[in-house]
Amino acid sequence: MASQSPDTGDKPKLQFVPFASALDAGFWHQLTQKKLNEYRLDESAKPIKGYYYNGDPAGLPTRLTLEFSAFDMSAPTPARCCPALGSLYNTNTLDSFKKFDKKALLDQAANEIWEAIKSGAALENPVLLNKFLLLTFADLKKYHFYYWFCFPALCLSDGIELIKPPVSLGEKFSKTQVIEFQKAYDSFCQAEGGAPHPYFLIGNSGDSFSMAPLQKLEEFYTEKDKVTLGVYDPCTLAQYPGWPLRNVLVLAALHWGSRVQSIEVLCLRDRTLQGERDIKHSISFEIKLPQVAQSQACPKAVGWEKNQKGGMGPRMVNLSECMDPKRLAESSVDLNLKLMRWRLVPTLDLEKVISTKCLLLGAGTLGCNVARTLMGWGVRHVTFVDNAKISYSNPVRQPLYEFEDCLGGGKSKALAAAEKLQRIFPGVTAKGFNMSIPMPGHPVNFSEETMDQAAKEVENLEALVAEHDVVFLLMDTRESRWLPTVIAASQKKLVINAALGFDTFVVMRHGLKKGKQEEANDSHSGVPGSSDLLGSSLFSNIPGYKLGCYFCNDVVAPGDSTRDRTLDQQCTVSRPGLSMIAGALAVELMVSVLQHPEGGYAVASSSDDRMNEPPTSLGLVPHQVLVKVCNVLPVSLAFDKCTACSLKVIDQYEKDGFQFLAKVFNSSHSFLEDLTGLTLLHQETQAAEGYSGNMNV
Amino acid sequence: MDSESRNNMILGEEKFRYFCLEFLKHSQDIGDDWEWKNVQGEEEGYLSKTCYQTRVTKSDDGKKHEQEDEILSTITLEGDHEVEDDDNCVLPQGSLQSEVINYEYHVLYSISYQAPVLYFRASFLDGTPLTLDAIWAKVHDSYKPRLLHGPWETITQQEHPILGQPFFVLHPCRTNEFMSSIQGSASREGNYITSWLSTVGPVVGLSLPLSYGRTV
Ligand SMILES: [Zn+2]
Repeated sequence: MASQSPDTGDKPKLQFVPFASALDAGFWHQLTQKKLNEYRLDESAKPIKGYYYNGDPAGLPTRLTLEFSAFDMSAPTPARCCPALGSLYNTNTLDSFKKFDKKALLDQAANEIWEAIKSGAALENPVLLNKFLLLTFADLKKYHFYYWFCFPALCLSDGIELIKPPVSLGEKFSKTQVIEFQKAYDSFCQAEGGAPHPYFLIGNSGDSFSMAPLQKLEEFYTEKDKVTLGVYDPCTLAQYPGWPLRNVLVLAALHWGSRVQSIEVLCLRDRTLQGERDIKHSISFEIKLPQVAQSQACPKAVGWEKNQKGGMGPRMVNLSECMDPKRLAESSVDLNLKLMRWRLVPTLDLEKVISTKCLLLGAGTLGCNVARTLMGWGVRHVTFVDNAKISYSNPVRQPLYEFEDCLGGGKSKALAAAEKLQRIFPGVTAKGFNMSIPMPGHPVNFSEETMDQAAKEVENLEALVAEHDVVFLLMDTRESRWLPTVIAASQKKLVINAALGFDTFVVMRHGLKKGKQEEANDSHSGVPGSSDLLGSSLFSNIPGYKLGCYFCNDVVAPGDSTRDRTLDQQCTVSRPGLSMIAGALAVELMVSVLQHPEGGYAVASSSDDRMNEPPTSLGLVPHQVLVKVCNVLPVSLAFDKCTACSLKVIDQYEKDGFQFLAKVFNSSHSFLEDLTGLTLLHQETQAAEGYSGNMNV
Repeated sequence: MDSESRNNMILGEEKFRYFCLEFLKHSQDIGDDWEWKNVQGEEEGYLSKTCYQTRVTKSDDGKKHEQEDEILSTITLEGDHEVEDDDNCVLPQGSLQSEVINYEYHVLYSISYQAPVLYFRASFLDGTPLTLDAIWAKVHDSYKPRLLHGPWETITQQEHPILGQPFFVLHPCRTNEFMSSIQGSASREGNYITSWLSTVGPVVGLSLPLSYGRTV
């Protein structure tokens, strides 16, 4: 059990198990409050209170615990615990923490203990023996707490010689004696006020035991009696006593050394396992009392706690996770989502959703609602593009804006939306671009400047699409969807499109193009997008790369919708609830697509699939959701004459870039129709309508 | 579950206190360390229990940031470490450090749900909190199925109403419902706190000795 001095054949020396500091999160919270509201820049010593517990199962370290109540000196000590009084030195800077004279601090505390021992004050009030020091620095910007504990112990220069090695109480005493001992201790504590006593004297004759406080030694023992010192010992090791024995042995040596040469020590350990109280694992041993004189100087002292690496140094704890409000918001949001996974959708790949970067083109009613639903899914990267300002009619329908945002001509929607997202949830990375998107049939060739401006806008949009994973088309005009459709198709980005009518809306994912070669091969076998095939089995099992885009559904190329109104865009006023449903559905569609192993290439689920095993943990991955009176999931094929996603358009765009786009912007819509062959098709169908007439446009 | 018996399971605050007191009596009898904690000068309080568990880890298991380590390594006792090293009265600590986890369980009364609410958190000895995943990773395997099928989809992170610090909370929105089925089938006269806690506790690592069920 004890160390054998290597150089001499001395008797073994007693060794003590040091305290391990234990700080609950509440302590750090309370320290933060104190620092902010009370201590501020004051670095002087503050009284605090800790305690040590008796009754641990074997294997736990001997702890000195500080919890949130550590600052309340009148707080009751928990059951089966002894208090320890400490001094807190909270420094203002890390530098001050570094430079603090730790040696002097320890010496000062040692002196106080030594004085309490010499004067006999510690005999009356043994809590004076269990002091501790705590040096802290709270970095409240990072929520990093630096700390160093010290449990001062006076050192006797030659150590303490062990005469009889430790034995357990179960070995030393009979069953009856153990029970009687326990009773005697309980009634002693009862008489002294109920709380456990850290130190006490033990008298024994036969099966009966008695206890007395330390200062009663003279009355308690006769001249011939052996002195037995009882310690309420927090340690659980069978061969070693805990730290609280250390200073009391100095006290014993000084006050009782003239009377006895040796004393017996009983380390009382008192635990309850499964409702059964037990003290048999307490230990008892005998030591030789060293020589200590009233006149001598204060013995040297030790006590600074080693760090986790076993070195002499401070520790640091990072509590940003539970103290930084922003981190708390993040972890709470994540927790909500994780619970959904744990409980309902165990195979849900949340990481895929959270890490998706979303580009929202349009920050109006749809944009606002899509953004909010994305936040609900924990998406951390949202970018808005819009060129409008917030007007007085907006806030009631567009949940990211407020009245104040409309004043002074109105804030930019894109910027205000991004700012608001950040305010709602600081964990999100939100950006806004106040920028317009060039449109077919909306000339940009008024001057060199306007051309340059449009070129710049296209370039910006291309860059933005490239930086994001999913592009949401949420504008209120049809033709503004054209350019991003082309760019996203070219860059093979997933496009989620939502468009509102008055009381109807469509939410769809655009087909995700394959490599050029595959595309060319497929287009030969592809069925032209004539809708008289709708509902037939031809529309089951259509892979994602064959699915159409928003414009495939039309036979009219995008033009200026204020002049040539297409059916679904005649009216930009819609029922207020629609945008919320549509926005939410658009996000849910995106999440479902992301959960599919093939992502945007996933086969389109159709209404018929609702009876089958769903392709993802979140259910179907439709091509489109059309909500009107009844809910159907139409599927349409990519149309090889589509004015936005057909090979011809993409090719031209990729080959000639802005030159091509400028042509589109500046010419009438027949340019695109001519290019893709739509004009020709129109002529053919008009001729055909003569006899069949069942074309369902 | 008809609505009438559900209503019967609503726990008034008086009853809550009464059951807590009874629960505490037994805890004291068997040394189970539950306590009633009051905030200074407030009447409001809660049942509280703290317990520790160890796990032996390799000493280099700590995943501290190197930058902080560097800062820490510059802080010493100003040259007088011989004193510390010379002290052979200190038992040298082994290289295998045991990782100690501190579990805190608090039972509070929710006026709005008229039901008890379990708040809990776990941290290492320096106060570093464990995530919910980490807490559940330590839950015994036999309780894992319960974790997935019990009323536990309702765990959230919330501020402790008395301490103002973040805790995990078993949200009480379904407590009355599942307590009706438990109390309804078994001893209706039993201690509500005991049967409730023995149902919800194990999934977050809190178990009650069987003797609680035998008394009261
Ligand atoms: Zn198309």
